[in-house]
Amino acid sequence: MEKANSNSNSNSNSNSNNNNNIGQSQAIEVRDNDNYPLSKEIISSLSINFGEKVKVVYKKEFRSKLMVAPENLVETALFLRNNHGFDHAESASGTDYPADNEIELNYHLGSYSNIDYYPYIVILSTRVNRDDPKSNSLINIFPSVEYHERETYEMLGVYFLGHPRNERFILPEDWADIPPLRKDFRIKGR
Amino acid sequence: MGSLTPDFRFGNFVGSVVWLVFVVLVLVTLLILPIIFFVLFYVPLPEVDGQVLTPYLFFSMMVDPSRTLPVIQFFMHLDIFRAAVFPGFAFAALIAAATIFVERKLLAKMQLRVGPLYAGKVEGIFQLLADGLKLLTKEIIVPSGADKPIFWLAPIAFVSTAAAVVALIPVASGWVVADVDVGLIAAFAILGFFPLIALLFSWASNSKYPFLGGLRALHQMIAFEIPFFLSAIPVVILSSSLNLSDIARSQTAFWNIFIMPINAFVFFISSLAELERIPFDLPEAESEIVAGWLTETSGMIYGLIQLGSYLKLYALAGLFVILFMGGWYGPQIFPQELIPGAHDSNLPLLQMLALDGLYNPVTVNSIFWFLIKTIVIIFLFLIIRGINPRIRIDILLHTGWYKLIVLTFINLFVVLMLIYGGVIGPGGMISAR
Amino acid sequence: MSNLDGIIDEAKKLSLQITKENEEDRLMTLSVGPQHPGSGHFRFTIKVDGDYIVFVDPDPGYVHRGHEKMCEYRNHFQNIPHLERPVIHDSCNITYSYSLAVEDLVGITVPRRGQFLRALASELNRLSYTLYWLAIYGIFLGHSTMFMWPAGDRELLIDLLERMSGQRITNAYNIPGGARADIPYNFKERCLSQVNYFEKRLNEYDDIFYNNPLLRQRTEGVGILSKEDAIRLGVTGSVLRASGVPFDVRKVEPYDIYDELDFKVQYMKTCDSFARAYVPMLDMRESCHIIRQIIDKMPESGPVREKLQFNIKNPPGETYKRVESGRGALGYHLVGDGSPKPYRVKASVGSFRNLLALPFLLTGSKLGDMPAVYWSLNYWPVEADR
Repeated sequence: MEKANSNSNSNSNSNSNNNNNIGQSQAIEVRDNDNYPLSKEIISSLSINFGEKVKVVYKKEFRSKLMVAPENLVETALFLRNNHGFDHAESASGTDYPADNEIELNYHLGSYSNIDYYPYIVILSTRVNRDDPKSNSLINIFPSVEYHERETYEMLGVYFLGHPRNERFILPEDWADIPPLRKDFRIKGR
Repeated sequence: MGSLTPDFRFGNFVGSVVWLVFVVLVLVTLLILPIIFFVLFYVPLPEVDGQVLTPYLFFSMMVDPSRTLPVIQFFMHLDIFRAAVFPGFAFAALIAAATIFVERKLLAKMQLRVGPLYAGKVEGIFQLLADGLKLLTKEIIVPSGADKPIFWLAPIAFVSTAAAVVALIPVASGWVVADVDVGLIAAFAILGFFPLIALLFSWASNSKYPFLGGLRALHQMIAFEIPFFLSAIPVVILSSSLNLSDIARSQTAFWNIFIMPINAFVFFISSLAELERIPFDLPEAESEIVAGWLTETSGMIYGLIQLGSYLKLYALAGLFVILFMGGWYGPQIFPQELIPGAHDSNLPLLQMLALDGLYNPVTVNSIFWFLIKTIVIIFLFLIIRGINPRIRIDILLHTGWYKLIVLTFINLFVVLMLIYGGVIGPGGMISAR
Repeated sequence: MSNLDGIIDEAKKLSLQITKENEEDRLMTLSVGPQHPGSGHFRFTIKVDGDYIVFVDPDPGYVHRGHEKMCEYRNHFQNIPHLERPVIHDSCNITYSYSLAVEDLVGITVPRRGQFLRALASELNRLSYTLYWLAIYGIFLGHSTMFMWPAGDRELLIDLLERMSGQRITNAYNIPGGARADIPYNFKERCLSQVNYFEKRLNEYDDIFYNNPLLRQRTEGVGILSKEDAIRLGVTGSVLRASGVPFDVRKVEPYDIYDELDFKVQYMKTCDSFARAYVPMLDMRESCHIIRQIIDKMPESGPVREKLQFNIKNPPGETYKRVESGRGALGYHLVGDGSPKPYRVKASVGSFRNLLALPFLLTGSKLGDMPAVYWSLNYWPVEADR
């Protein structure tokens, strides 16, 4: 563990592409780091256009996580698609945070049309209220999220407004319990 | 080692055996012997070799086995023997069984496997027996809502239709079950029943996949029936006969395949389609429609349909040989006498081994060459299966309706030109007659 | 007269209704799978109009085992054996991605020899998986020889993997910190000879399968997924590369030692089922090439894994790491909360992403194209269900 921490500290100012340079554990604040040109480009363009609406959770060489409010999700996604060539979602998932009474939705967006952004993944995330989770669906912007959002709907109970089929997908048809990926769903015996 | 039950007593065992023997003896004296005598008394037995066939003659055959020869000869020329044993059903079924086994071994070798190995000591030769027993003992499941009479009748109809085609195939001069003047048309007419049976069976199964498979079978067979028939027309023109034996006899000088290779090819492809074998096994395409029209078959229903389709395979291979490969003609390789000098020998056993009256060198030679050619064609049918994927239905229909029909006409015109040019045909330069 | 007109109008309406009902009756609903021989552990409902498919609805989940939930109750090393279950033929790639994510989150450097060994196991697994997939593609198209040959040749690679890891298929070889075990004595020579032999067999596959005119007829021009559609639907792996996008995670975002290796991203531009069937074949040749390089460049000795304590604690934070698996990009999104167990694990698997192309491609195609299109999508039902 000590070694791990030292690695992450020492690599924060180096631009080597070894896989150990992104061990930053806690990075809620934005670091002004010129070593990651891709991240810098995206984040600067987003901050120019959206200002305070988009918060950068972390920024690594090929990853950056953006936190937006649920009402700004669609326009941010549209901006990323039209201006930066992020044309598909690798996954759309959710994480349950019962402590904050929120569910975090993560869209891992990638690009196939912009060759510079091939290795890059933008994690567009938003937090919705856990008691009545509703979010705008991105299906009209990224058709590739169709099944991922359906899965998130049944696994976490997030209702996607505008999604044509908020239905049972992977779980059995007679499933009659709370959504299983919520933290208050316990596996038997564990 | 078997184990004995606790209340086993040897005395009881002996007693039960004695009781069994007693019952059998009583049954024989009171029931079976009278039946035999009544039958022998009332049924007129045939006259063989100047002697009426009596039970006493059968006893004398035990002493002199050569006396059985005339009896065998007599039975061999009965119609029932021809239909049931040779060259009819039993012979064809034996070839069908051998084909199934050879197919499995051959495919296995092509695919770097071993194939059947354990049933029977040598290379699993009893595998087929085991499979047959398994099929016989399996439960036949009739789907709910099935049309039961048709469901039960269709497999039997399938086998009997296949056997009907077999009946038309001559294996040597005069060795045919039904020597009809319209043999070729009869063969095509009977083959036309198969899609009907497939459709009836699939409809009777009351299930979706069989229905789709039945429709596919219908489409496929109608599409290939026409090139199938057209490809045989030049043969008919050339031999000026529809009798299959006559068609074979007309090829003493040369085989038809040398004049009409394209037609032979079309006939071969159409037979593959008719047989529903890969690459034309669309009615049974497993990855699309489960098992096609065979989806609801189980137990011996499946076994019968399988037997029928392999009978059909033999029949079509035989038909190919008759039409294009000179039938049973081939160089004489069997000697005039089976064992030289045996005919004049004084030893009765040796004299019997000469098979006097049974052994006809020309016929045996004909059957031999017919079988060799048929086996070659069957091998061609089998090898295709190992190297080809399944074709798609629209490509298949397109092939049948457009390509094959056009191809048959090319060779038809070539043959007509040769006939009018006086090269072949009746009175031609290289004609047999 | 006017009465009669009204009657005629009514009759027309009625007959319209009748024709409409008849049109509905034309459609036949077929349930393809899970007991269908052409589906795998998976069901899709299709409606056919004659021989044309007019509606497709995939219904995965038949083998869903909730492995994302299971991960939250186990620590990283306990997670490895159950993570590889979805695709046991490609187990090293699944665990590879998870290991990379854990190492990224915790901050571990893998020893150099360990990196090479992990890449070697991953390439062998890719070959083994692709052969399995190819075998099933062969039998789906009714080519029984193509089912048997790859299934037999797969033994070569399984034998190598067994020597590396001690297991035939569920290897659990790539673990957080490096490779689980070192390779045995004399492994390199054996690996080289078997891979060389295997590469010769690939030419024979070309001869019997890919150059077969019937196969070409069946797959060429079928199920065309244009480049725009491929990008829009976010497909990945061989499906994407067959549509003309040269995207391979090994190249675009090299992990471990892949930036030191010399290989090309194989892609085709014909966008049809044949391209999707042939790109894995090109990948296999490239994998053979990579394996030879790995054997060549691997350090002779050294540690193969960083020793970690069993209950290694995750720092709070999250990461997303991906590798190129047999079915495309395979990413793990890992969230840590300071405990030894991951707070949330999300697997973004290639199969699940390629599934979206299935209804798109099958709608309007022929029933006979179904196996050719469906299995060319490089879809592994068990992996999609997770």
